[in-house]
Amino acid sequence: MSETHSIPGARFVDPKILQRVGNLELLARTVVEGFINGLHRAPFFGASIDFAEHRGYVPGDDIRRVDWRVYARTDRYYVKQYEADTNTNVSILLDVSRSMQFASRGIPKLEYACFVGACLCYLAQRQRDRVGIITFDNDIVSHVPPSAKHFNVTLHTLDRARAERPGNLVATLTKMAEHFKRRGILILLSDFYEEPDAILEAIKPLRFLGNDLIVFHVLDPAELDFGYEDASSFQDLETGEQIPVVPESLRAEYRSLIRAHLDSLTTKFSEHRIDYTVLNTAEPLDRALFSYLSSRERLMRVR
Amino acid sequence: MAFLTPAFLIGLAALAVPVLVHLIQRERKRVVEFPSLMFVRRIPYQSVRRRRIRHWALLLLRVAAVALLVLAFARPFFKRNVAAAAATGGAREIVVLLDQSASMGYGDHWQRARDAARSIVRGLGRDDRATLVLFSRNAEENMRATSDRTRLEAAINTAKVSSGATRYGPALKLAESILSRSNIKRREAVLISDFQKTGWSGSEDAHFPDGMVLTTTSVASKNTANLSVPSVSFGRASFSGQERITVNAGLSNKGDEPVRDVPVTLTVDGHELETLRAAVGAHASASVTFAPFTLAGPNVRGTVRAGTDPLPADNNFHFVLTPSQPVSLAVVDSVDRSDESLFLTKALSIGATPAFQIETTSASRVVPATYDKRSVVILNDTPFPTTGGSALKRLVEHGSGLLVIAGDHTTWPATEADLLPGRLGAAVDRTSGRSGSLGFLDYSHPVFEVFKAPRSGDFSAAHFFRYRSIEPGPADRVLARYDDGAPAAIERKVGLGRVIAWTSPLDDTSTDIAVKPVYLPLVHQLVKYLAHYEAPTSWFTVGQVLDLSARLRNRAARIIVSPSGERSTQSGSGEGAEGLLELTDQGVYEIRPTGTGNGRPEAIAVNLDPAESDLAPLDPNELVASVTGHATSMFDAAPPAQELTREDVERRQSLWWYLMLTGVVLLAVETVISNRLSRKEKFL
Repeated sequence: MSETHSIPGARFVDPKILQRVGNLELLARTVVEGFINGLHRAPFFGASIDFAEHRGYVPGDDIRRVDWRVYARTDRYYVKQYEADTNTNVSILLDVSRSMQFASRGIPKLEYACFVGACLCYLAQRQRDRVGIITFDNDIVSHVPPSAKHFNVTLHTLDRARAERPGNLVATLTKMAEHFKRRGILILLSDFYEEPDAILEAIKPLRFLGNDLIVFHVLDPAELDFGYEDASSFQDLETGEQIPVVPESLRAEYRSLIRAHLDSLTTKFSEHRIDYTVLNTAEPLDRALFSYLSSRERLMRVR
Repeated sequence: MAFLTPAFLIGLAALAVPVLVHLIQRERKRVVEFPSLMFVRRIPYQSVRRRRIRHWALLLLRVAAVALLVLAFARPFFKRNVAAAAATGGAREIVVLLDQSASMGYGDHWQRARDAARSIVRGLGRDDRATLVLFSRNAEENMRATSDRTRLEAAINTAKVSSGATRYGPALKLAESILSRSNIKRREAVLISDFQKTGWSGSEDAHFPDGMVLTTTSVASKNTANLSVPSVSFGRASFSGQERITVNAGLSNKGDEPVRDVPVTLTVDGHELETLRAAVGAHASASVTFAPFTLAGPNVRGTVRAGTDPLPADNNFHFVLTPSQPVSLAVVDSVDRSDESLFLTKALSIGATPAFQIETTSASRVVPATYDKRSVVILNDTPFPTTGGSALKRLVEHGSGLLVIAGDHTTWPATEADLLPGRLGAAVDRTSGRSGSLGFLDYSHPVFEVFKAPRSGDFSAAHFFRYRSIEPGPADRVLARYDDGAPAAIERKVGLGRVIAWTSPLDDTSTDIAVKPVYLPLVHQLVKYLAHYEAPTSWFTVGQVLDLSARLRNRAARIIVSPSGERSTQSGSGEGAEGLLELTDQGVYEIRPTGTGNGRPEAIAVNLDPAESDLAPLDPNELVASVTGHATSMFDAAPPAQELTREDVERRQSLWWYLMLTGVVLLAVETVISNRLSRKEKFL
């Protein structure tokens, strides 16, 4: 256990333990606080009203913002500018298609994605960002617009999310792009059972408005290693189709195919400057959080 | 087919189990939910067609195994065997008496007899035991009581027709002995034979007690045609110092049809000398006489062959001829009578078997050489020779004979008293009054044995007017007495030789026996007995036992070659059974010393018992009635068949055991196959 916890305090983010918590807010707080305390890197998100720079006063500026100390020394009017106005819209885009219900040994992918979403919402809320959520399968299931007051609603939506219907990622993302009028951060959680090119084509409209997109590819360990032993009839959770499969004879080919799929997604997302992280549901949540914070830091620097 | 516990057949419903398992497994086979088969679909997966075929094979195996196990528990048995088993009424002890006598060689008799024996063996039940007894003159337990049909059939297949005569008595006694030893209640003897009438005299002491069953299988043919050569006689005549033999062969036709123009061939030492044509009426006899031939040496083998018929064995008659050896005699008489031995010499000069070679001399001229190589010396009313006494004694002790004819001239020195049987006394005069006659003859003695039968010689007609009294010693045997009780003939054994004292002259001086019919045979018998003469035997009959140690002077070890080519070796000691040879085969036996191949081997001709040629059959029921004491048919007299219960029949058949075993084997095979396939292919 300790080997998987590369980061101190990561015991708070073991998904199997979190599964017992039941309350997403408590869960998110536990995870995030523990994560931050263990991280010791508070400067990642310091005061949101930090001083940034001075600029010359122009008529219309609020005279309360004139820095009188500078005027005393230089006899010129300067206005102080701050970094505090950085809160943004954070939207969780959660795939609740039936394939997300899959769980081989640990927790279902959907639950894992919910944990990730809850944690990220908590982080955003701590940062005074507005949080919202859209769940979708072959259509949009629920939509909570980003708002500073929607933290609890978002968590509630996450809690109620059920994977019941087959999904259609491309069509839904295309449709979803119309909802985002204001730029913000979009966090997409899905298992991406589509062709990489189609996924990219569907995601592109999300970025047209200048949204920052963070993609989490949630996968169960069984989907990665195909570690089945006995020949069985395999049923597609999305379509219900059954195929008799002899895993031993398929395993090597399957692994190479899924690896090619992931590599293709990684390449294409990086080409479009999209953060792409593969999440293994057997691994702790810290990887997702770390990936998110890295992304946030990079976005801040770029600005 | 029936079942002892048919309720178990309900278990056949279990046949559905493997089928259901198969179907349910197909329906309920493990379904693994997977998020998306997008990638799996791109991989060409293994076809299930082949697995299904193998799966069905396994299913069939399982169904068959279950069915067999259920059937085993239902304990099946065959109904058709119930009747047979009931008829047998339990385990049987069977003795198969198979006649292998020479007469079974007639036509297809032997083949039919063996077929009958084989059918009996094949009809044996699982608990039955059978003993195979092959018999002819004697009975032999060929295969001891066994249930092993294969061994019994093998014994039957290897059995052969022998040359022996048929005798039912020993075989039936042996069967009775075997059956009485058995602890099985149902005891049967099956007699397979041609039932020759000659094999059963009716006086055999063979009797089956109650509970033993005798059944018969006759292979006799109705109309049998059989020509045989039952005997051959020889006429011997001297010609130019050589002996010429005239062979006279008897022919016997036991068939219902006369035979005509049948060739009869004489073969001597492999050379066919002459063939004559003969005709023999139905159930009649005839004879043919061949032209004489010269007998060149000893052990000349001859065969008379007459025609061909379904029983060829008795168409041949073998014999072995050896030139006759004359008996050498020395007659010593007194000096003053030149014709004293006239009657004796005349009597002994008649006859050829044997011929007597007589040399007469007077007592005064006797020298030791007179006795050389004499078989018999006759002291004919003469004083004991003054010379050669010891030579005479030595001659007698070495096996020759001495006939002392005691008359008035006879004297005997006290020194040679042990050579004379008894002690001579005064002469008894019977001229006045009633003459003497022989009142007692020891017919058990070889000399008088030929006169034993009625009208075989009247000694009472001979009158004796004067004879010497003699007092027999304790070891002496009185062979004849006069009517007054005085000994007329006394015998004493001296060494290997024999001495007989006859107390009256064997001429016409004081008795008229010399002119009586018994005189000649009496003299011949006396001389032959004293000379240890045995008529040369030209052939023997199968079954006789030959004392080789007496027949062959050579004491060396010898090799015996039977007519069938079997070789055996006998040491020359002649002790116990070593010196005895049982003649079991028809043909010529060869006997020669071991080591050297020189010289003509001793030959012994052996022929079938003439009775074997008489194929007239006996009514088997007559024999059965005689043996068992039941006048009824043995099938009727057999104990009533005991009805067998279904349990008994099922237990005897024990089919369940085989079904169970097969079922278990099928399950084992199914396990092995399914394990191997599942390891290899990993299908459900």
